[in-house]
Amino acid sequence: MSDEFYVVAIAALLPLTALMLVLQVNPYNALVIRGILGAVAALVYALFGAADVALTEALVGTMLSITLYAVAVRSSMSMRLGVIAAEPHPDNERHDIPYPPEPLLSALRHMLDQHHMRLERVAYPSLPALRTALRNKDIHAICIGTETNESALLQVDHTEPYHIQTRLQRLYELMQKDIPSTMASLSYVQPNTLESAAIASADSQPSPVEGKL
Amino acid sequence: MNFVFFAMFLILLIPIYEAWQDEYIWQKMLAFASIATKTSIMILFISVLRDDWMIGVVGVIILSVGNAALMLLAHVIRRMNEL
Repeated sequence: MSDEFYVVAIAALLPLTALMLVLQVNPYNALVIRGILGAVAALVYALFGAADVALTEALVGTMLSITLYAVAVRSSMSMRLGVIAAEPHPDNERHDIPYPPEPLLSALRHMLDQHHMRLERVAYPSLPALRTALRNKDIHAICIGTETNESALLQVDHTEPYHIQTRLQRLYELMQKDIPSTMASLSYVQPNTLESAAIASADSQPSPVEGKL
Repeated sequence: MNFVFFAMFLILLIPIYEAWQDEYIWQKMLAFASIATKTSIMILFISVLRDDWMIGVVGVIILSVGNAALMLLAHVIRRMNEL
């Protein structure tokens, strides 16, 4: 009788961890819980004498599937933001990307964190290369400084220091909600007709603090 | 012997609770490492209890493979935080 109890107690862990997995919202946390589920499942299978099933669960169900899914989630749940590569500064050896500036970057990161996504910056040498990449769907959005003379090609007004153009409707809606209009102007462009950019910009003038960004 | 197995079961519940209530991903990874090791030790214990060498070999393989899976997953998550 008592032997039965242990079997039931161990087997009850399986639906418990499965419930934890189903209720998980963050995909990366769900992957870790999937590993826990695989370990518990292997224990239950071994307890019932199915050693081959336990081995298969540990090798395929835990190791292979979470590794493949981690790579898939990592490459799909990201926003690729195209920027223009910086000229290497003479007294600064670091070849880092100059813009978007840190406040705009952290606002973008904060927006994406709410949806368990991450920001990936891709540097391009010039504005035509950026637009070609956007047209070829290599990147999801581009960010340019409006003070540069290249911005005249996009016909953006100079009231905001930066301009973000995206080809995804959903990203545009999210950015409209969470990116302050004094920080950067936004525009949504149809994926097939890149020329007809609908520019949505706020009327407010940037304050001196934001003008320095 | 059943008492030892019951104690192992109760100890296994601790990291499961930790993985459930903590939202930080590295705490979850720690709980996963703990659970993967504990379950394979329990499989080894079952094999000794039943004198079954087949389960014993499987337990040893799961003990080593669980660590490999953990290292792979940790590497991917660490790379994610760098970018």
